[in-house]
Amino acid sequence: MRPSLIFLVSLGLLALVDSALLLHHHAQKENAAADAGLLRMTAAGLGLSDLCLATEARYTRHPAVTDPIVPFMDHPGAFEHFPSGSFWARPSGPR
Amino acid sequence: MTASFVALEDVCKIYNQGQPNQVRALHNINLVIAANSMVCLQGASGSGKSTLLSIIGCVFPPTSGRATIAGKALSRMPDRFLTIHRRNTIGFIFQHFNILPDLTVLENITLPLMPLGIGPGARKERAERLMEMLSIGHRSNFPARQISGGELQRVAIARALINDPPIVLADEPTAHLDHTLSLAFMEIMRELQRAGKTIILTSHDPLITQHPAVERIIAIEDGEIHVP
Amino acid sequence: MMSFARQANIIDYSLSSLWRRRFKSLGVMVVFAGVIFLLASFQMTTKALTNAASDILAFAPEITIQKMKAGRQESIPLEYKEKLAVILGIRAITPRIWGYYFNETSGANYTVLGLDPFSMPLGDQLGEAIDTGALPLDHEAVLGQGVFAELAGGGDAVIFSLFRPDLSLKTFSRAGVFKAETNILTYDTLFMNLDDARDLFSLPADMATDLCVTVANPNEVQTIAKKIAALLPDTRVVTRQQIQKTYQGVFGWRSGFASICLLTALAAFIIFAWDKASGLTPEERKEISILKIIGWQTSDVLTLRFWEGVTVSTVSFVVGYTLAYVHVSFFEASLFRPVLLGWSVLHPALRLVPSVELGETLLILCLTVVPYLAATIIPAWRAAIIPADSALN
Repeated sequence: MRPSLIFLVSLGLLALVDSALLLHHHAQKENAAADAGLLRMTAAGLGLSDLCLATEARYTRHPAVTDPIVPFMDHPGAFEHFPSGSFWARPSGPR
Repeated sequence: MTASFVALEDVCKIYNQGQPNQVRALHNINLVIAANSMVCLQGASGSGKSTLLSIIGCVFPPTSGRATIAGKALSRMPDRFLTIHRRNTIGFIFQHFNILPDLTVLENITLPLMPLGIGPGARKERAERLMEMLSIGHRSNFPARQISGGELQRVAIARALINDPPIVLADEPTAHLDHTLSLAFMEIMRELQRAGKTIILTSHDPLITQHPAVERIIAIEDGEIHVP
Repeated sequence: MMSFARQANIIDYSLSSLWRRRFKSLGVMVVFAGVIFLLASFQMTTKALTNAASDILAFAPEITIQKMKAGRQESIPLEYKEKLAVILGIRAITPRIWGYYFNETSGANYTVLGLDPFSMPLGDQLGEAIDTGALPLDHEAVLGQGVFAELAGGGDAVIFSLFRPDLSLKTFSRAGVFKAETNILTYDTLFMNLDDARDLFSLPADMATDLCVTVANPNEVQTIAKKIAALLPDTRVVTRQQIQKTYQGVFGWRSGFASICLLTALAAFIIFAWDKASGLTPEERKEISILKIIGWQTSDVLTLRFWEGVTVSTVSFVVGYTLAYVHVSFFEASLFRPVLLGWSVLHPALRLVPSVELGETLLILCLTVVPYLAATIIPAWRAAIIPADSALN
């Protein structure tokens, strides 16, 4: 078999894998769309203002609803531009 | 096929024309080589022999004068057409063989056919005929770096012949061969001449210059043809 | 047809020459695919997060009123609610008590929310977001999945206790658990009645954390916010629009920071590619001069180099992009979480739907493949004009 054919076949296989992933992507998107209503309802019902991503940074959990100076409060030297995890390891105390 | 296959009239070649390092390599060369003949160019290094070989081999046109190779005038021929003319007309056999060591014998031989768009099957078929003729068929799938010097030269010959060109140019073909292999090479050249090809060699090797098949020696000195 | 066969032959030759230099080619492809992988998974993650956030933030409270003292937020007196009665256009005012509860055993922060959902928009449907059980009654709480997992310790405990500030225990029973689909909002949440939250945080009876205002006509939000600010000079009035802006600012800062790191990687790669491609070894020079003298056109040599570049960049791009999708979709973008989110003791499983958009994909393609092709083709031009007669010497 000539190299260009082998190459074409491999590209085809990759394309196959990618189409499978694309199908997966569409399925996921539909799932997300189905969940979206529930999420909007929760956000509105509880009056939430942020995603529950970084629960350690006050201003990130609810950025606009706490003090604007929070980012500058916690460490005399560093601006809290990141959640603490960007600079320190998580606590190693009792769990 | 015309009687004069290679015709040079007042051919001059000047490198780097108009610049301080201008070099006049050839000066008023007049040369006619008949079809189906075998000639040998002779000259020291720097004599202009390589330049002459390049013009006959359609590598570049002369600076002035007329060069007609296999019926076509090279002067002012664009590079693109020069290349097409070269691959249809000339088979090169180089002093150092110039075989790509990482390619197989078969791949090396069929290299000139690639840009012609000839498919792998047809390429192999053509090459096999030549390899059979040159008894290197059993080496077909060996990487070129693994075969002997004599076989390498046969690969070079096969590559030169793959397009069935009317002219075969061989530059110092026996420089890296022993006596027996050199004789065998000349036998192959003689066979090719019998088959209708025009053979142009360059060499210092008396084995070639005094070979009975060589019809004519052309001596070059300081960019001019030397008449003894 | 002739030209197609010629291209096929040249592609064959370029593939086999890539194969002959397989370690070098593979090295370039690994680095190339790595750069694409980083760029693409970063872009998919940030896009997915900001899409999710902006979708949800569109339902954040229209107006939030916070009491300020000495530049800091403090509890707001409930009597402020009455003061606002004069403003027309306000549909409802919901006092909320919310705050953070630090669980010393696990090191996690919980978000405690106390409010009456029925005065919030869509609040009457909130029960649908609760998996088992119902909205909290007195001395009950609805738990986020993360809180439930920690407090119940994997069992299905119904009664649990939290510390008040004076270290006395307040006992709750579990009214329900939020559905896993809402994890990205509720994972760290304890939702209870206003009075229970007040009791837990030991707030005075006439105080709340903030007031959420629902407006009858969305077009009047700004006007009403101004009126509130004039009426209650010691408060800060936060509109939904400001929340959205702040959020985008926070994510913009972080993704900008990471983008700069990635752009540096990209620049380094282009320099690397240029270096690899432009340095012609004597062997390569010789190969090209041989090809040319035996009848390859300059354009054939360029085509050869072009196909080499296209092969390397196509394969790298497709592989890198595919890996990026797998990384974001199946491994929750685990490489970028530390940069984008920081750590948290409570991390919801981040079920991201990677953003795959034609425009974004093309942007990455233009940022990587095009410079690579340029970096390989331009030096190839220099190579292709090597005179054929250099093979003669």
